[in-house]
This record gives sequence, C-alpha cells and structure tokens, in this order.
Amino acid sequence: MKFLIFSDIEDSAKQVMSFLKGKGDFVLYTTEKGESLTKYGAQKIVLLTGKPDVKGISSLLSDEFSSGGYDLVMIASTVLGRDIASLFSGQKSIEVIPEIFDIKFNSGTVTTKRYGLGGKAVIEEESKSKLFTFLSGLSDDVPGDGSSPIETKNIPEGVVKILAIEQKKAKEVNLEKANIIVAVGRGLGKIEGIQQIEPLVKAVRGELAGSRPVCLDYHWLSEDRQVGYSGRTVKPKAYVALGISGQIQHIAGMRGSKVVVAVNKDKNAPIFQEADYGIVGDLYQIVPKIVSYL
Amino acid sequence: MPYDIVVLIKQIPDLELIKVNQSTEEPITDGVPFKFENLSKNSVEAAVRIKEKNGGKITAVLFGNEKGTQVMKEAYAMGVDEGILITGYSENNPVLTAKVLAQKIKQLHYDLVILGNQSADSMSGMVAGLVATELNLPLLSNAVSIEVTDKIVKVSTATEKDVIKLEATMPAVISVTQETNEPRFPPVLQIIKAGKKSISTEQSTVKIENTSKIISKKAPKSERKRLIFEDVDKGAQEVAKVLKEAMK
Ligand SMILES: Cc1cc2nc3c(=O)[nH]c(=O)nc-3n(C[C@H](O)[C@H](O)[C@H](O)COP(=O)(O)OP(=O)(O)OC[C@H]3O[C@@H](n4cnc5c(N)ncnc54)[C@H](O)[C@@H]3O)c2cc1C
Repeated sequence: MKFLIFSDIEDSAKQVMSFLKGKGDFVLYTTEKGESLTKYGAQKIVLLTGKPDVKGISSLLSDEFSSGGYDLVMIASTVLGRDIASLFSGQKSIEVIPEIFDIKFNSGTVTTKRYGLGGKAVIEEESKSKLFTFLSGLSDDVPGDGSSPIETKNIPEGVVKILAIEQKKAKEVNLEKANIIVAVGRGLGKIEGIQQIEPLVKAVRGELAGSRPVCLDYHWLSEDRQVGYSGRTVKPKAYVALGISGQIQHIAGMRGSKVVVAVNKDKNAPIFQEADYGIVGDLYQIVPKIVSYL
Repeated sequence: MPYDIVVLIKQIPDLELIKVNQSTEEPITDGVPFKFENLSKNSVEAAVRIKEKNGGKITAVLFGNEKGTQVMKEAYAMGVDEGILITGYSENNPVLTAKVLAQKIKQLHYDLVILGNQSADSMSGMVAGLVATELNLPLLSNAVSIEVTDKIVKVSTATEKDVIKLEATMPAVISVTQETNEPRFPPVLQIIKAGKKSISTEQSTVKIENTSKIISKKAPKSERKRLIFEDVDKGAQEVAKVLKEAMK
C-alpha cells in the first residue's frame, strides 16, 4: 500500500508518519521545511514552495496521485488541509471520510473512526474511500533514524490572489508533552486573571491551556494553547479545567486525560459529567486554596 | 453596489440535549429538537452586514428536513430575504450535501455564496470546497474578515500559523469561522413578522453512490468518577492530593 500524505503542520506530519510506519510506503507533501521530518521513514519528502494556494496544492496532489501509483491519501485536518481535501475530492469525484482519528486497513476497504453529533458520537464506518482528513493526535510522535530525501515542487498559482502572508507568533508550547495541564475558559473573565492561575501552574510544574474563545477570540492565551476539537488533542496525567463549561468540542480534545479536575461556579455545568473531581465555586477563591494544600 | 448573496445554512439537533441510551450506548437523537447551527448564524450575520452597507438580496438555502422551517424563520428575522428549504437530508455526507446545494445555487442569481467553515455537529469542513468545485468558483475559506468593493472580495484567513490575505473576483464562495462576527439576536417584533413569511420547500432528487457503511455509532466512553465537592475546602484538599500524585 502506498500513501500520499499532506500536512502543512509539522506535528501532524510526524504523527501520521509514525502511525503509518510498517503499514506501507508513504511520501510526505508539505509546506514545512523542518529537517526533523526526514526521520520518519518517508520514501521522500516533497517540499512545496511558493504561495499556499489551496487550489494549486490540490491540483498538484491530484496529479501526483494519478501518476505516482498511490492507493490512499491522508491529509491533515488543518485550515488549509481541509480545503485541499475538499477540492481534491471535488476534482477527482471521490468520496472523502473527514476528521478521522483512527483507521484500519482491511483488504479493499478501510475502517475509520470519527466524531459525529459534535463529539457526542463516535462513528465507526467501513468504506472504500481513498481520501481522508485526519485529526491531530492520530498517534504519538515516534521518530526513527532514517533520512528521507527532500525534493521541491512549486505550487501552481490559482485564480485566488494571495496578497499577503503574515506569520502568527511562533509556537510557544508543546501541550502534548505536558504532564499536567491547567486550562482556563471564559469563566476567567479577564486576561489579568491569568496571573492568579500561574502559581498553580508553577506549583504542579504544568502547562497553561485554554478553551477556544480564550485562545482564538480574546487572545488571553496564544493559539497553540487551545485544547479541543479544533485545537490540540491532549492526554496529560491530570487536566484541570477552570471556568470551562465543558462543551463537547472542548471535551473532544481532552477526553484522553488520565484524571480530570473541574472547577466551575455552575453545578450543572456539563464539565462535571466529564470530571473525576469537581469543585463547585469561584475559581478565584478555589485556585489559591488548592495551591495552599500542595 | 448592491450584492446578491446566497447563504447556506444548516439545522442540527440540539447537541446539549442528546442523552445516551445506557443499554446500547448510543446517543438518542429521536425527539431532540433542532436548532440553528452555530456557524450558519455567523454566515447569515456576515451576509446581513454586507447587505446593510451595500444593499442587495440575501437568499438562504437549507438542506435538511421539514423541521427546518423554524431555523429559516430565525434566519428571516436576522435579515434573510428569501428562504429555500430542500428536504431529504438523512445523514452527514458532504459530497451529497454539496451537490444538492450547488444544484440549487445554479438556479439563483448571486455575487457571493457564504457558509460556515465547519458545522458544529458533523465538523467535516468539506462542504465549502466541494460547493466551490461544483460551481467552478474561487474558494476563500475560513474568513475572519470580509471586505467587498465593486466586484472584488478580500478575505483574511487565519491558518494555524499565518494570517493570509486573499482576493478574488466575484462570484466567489466564502466560508466563515466562528470568530468572524457575533451573530445578532433579532428583536421579538422581527421574529413575529418572520413567522408569517413563506418558505419555498422542495424535495432533493440528487443521488450519489456512497461506499461507506456505518458499523457503530456509540457515545464515547466516559468513565469519570464524578466526585463533585460543594465544600470548597474539602474539594481543594482532595484535588491537591490528586495533583501531587500526578506530579510523581
Ligand atoms: C466546529 C467547532 C469547533 C470547536 N472547537 C473548539 C475547540 O477546539 N476548543 C474549545 O474549547 N471550543 C471549541 N469550540 C467552541 C465550543 O463549542 C464552546 O463554545 C467553547 O468550548 C466554550 O468555551 P468556555 O467553556 O471557555 O466558555 P463558556 O461555555 O462560556 O463557559 C464558561 C464557564 O465558566 C464558568 N464560570 C464563569 N465564571 C466563573 C468563575 N468565576 N469561577 C468558576 N467558573 C466560572 C461558567 O459557569 C461557565 O460554565 C468549537 C465549536 C465549533 C462549532
């Protein structure tokens, strides 16, 4: 079996290559320069250069798919990846199974798992699909010692003009590696509140994370600290949710945590259904108390 | 100049009200009321803001079932002018959904097609690109802001690493994110007025081959202890113990 992989994010590229190791040959197409990507056993790495036009990338991948003897296409579920996959699916008229977090290869079919109903269901399905988008957290990151050759290809330009590309702030943190995560939600109320959470983060030698509104809407925390369906998928030994209501899209990113602690002033908050230990009350009173007992 | 906009909206079961059948472990959707999908509201809001500034007409297309009329009325109250409900939606299948929607859009006049980037229930993120392909139009997706001047549309897209500024000539397909805007709550009077407006309803006739078979659809397992403390002091002590253990 031969896989065509696309990821514009280093972590997801590493995870999918770790996952596919031993299951077949694979070639990684990426816009990421990272030398470290060469250690995962890809037959080769194709570095795509030029402006990241999604139509251009999908046409390029679609040509490579036809000429390169590939069986299956795995595209990272990122902002660009989802567009590329949907254009690929449309161009080739092939069905796509989106947002998978597990895949097994049978003879002629695949069995995949993805969330439905916003995370309230796990849909396990069997299909003849050849095209998938996969969520971050598909597998652990297990580098080997190979060294894949790197080739470059230029992305063809499309009808959409790319006027400017501004880099966001560099990634600060690798939440996947954290032992303990202290996550804050909208219940924090204000950016200054972070200072009052930091003593707890320090005391448990943890990492700070947040819900989507906290990271993407209010920018109280950097975007790479967002946990959830459209953020990071984490599995720490302990996950402490402070002022997070526990909407399914958030839960989808922390469900694998070993122990979950929740602090919320609303005793009916759904997060308590997903917690091992919960405290009902104001996080600003409770956090210092926890610190005092540590 | 005025713009004619087609907004693609979705009805979804109220996810918070879904319970789990303890014996089959399956989520129960029967009897759960439908609501206006989150990102669809952002899409309508984006369209209405363009109309308020420039004029034009907004047509909403909803692929769902008969219960979709309620959602359409809410869309009217937000500022949609005309609503088309296509029934026959059975389950999440982005390729089919895109074909059904595109077939309808082709019969309408439009400068822009606006929809959500990833719906709150199925989250596939595929429909915008598939619709753009069916219509052979430029795709500007994951917009955090939209700007229109004459026949030109500019969009800022936030990827995980960059903010990319895109430009295309209309007609174009735009998908929006939940950070694009804060959808309005229409005043009561508007909701009452909207209730009287007609909605044109038709049945979908599009069929496609689908090779995927659902093996199971169960609620994810949650085996949490759920020890909830209302005594803050006791709770803090217990939590401190747990965290010390996790630090080892
Ligand atoms: C396609 C899609 C993808 C998404 N992806 C993600 C994702 O990756 N991650 C994510 O987090 N969300 C995601 N969301 C958004 C998600 O649906 C919720 O909107 C979000 O998780 C809510 O964040 P929150 O819990 O911080 O805020 P809220 O839901 O507003 O909850 C705030 C909570 O704080 C409590 N509170 C308030 N004050 C205090 C206090 N002083 N002390 C203690 N408790 C207090 C309140 O009782 C409330 O429960 C996604 C949504 C969609 C549609």
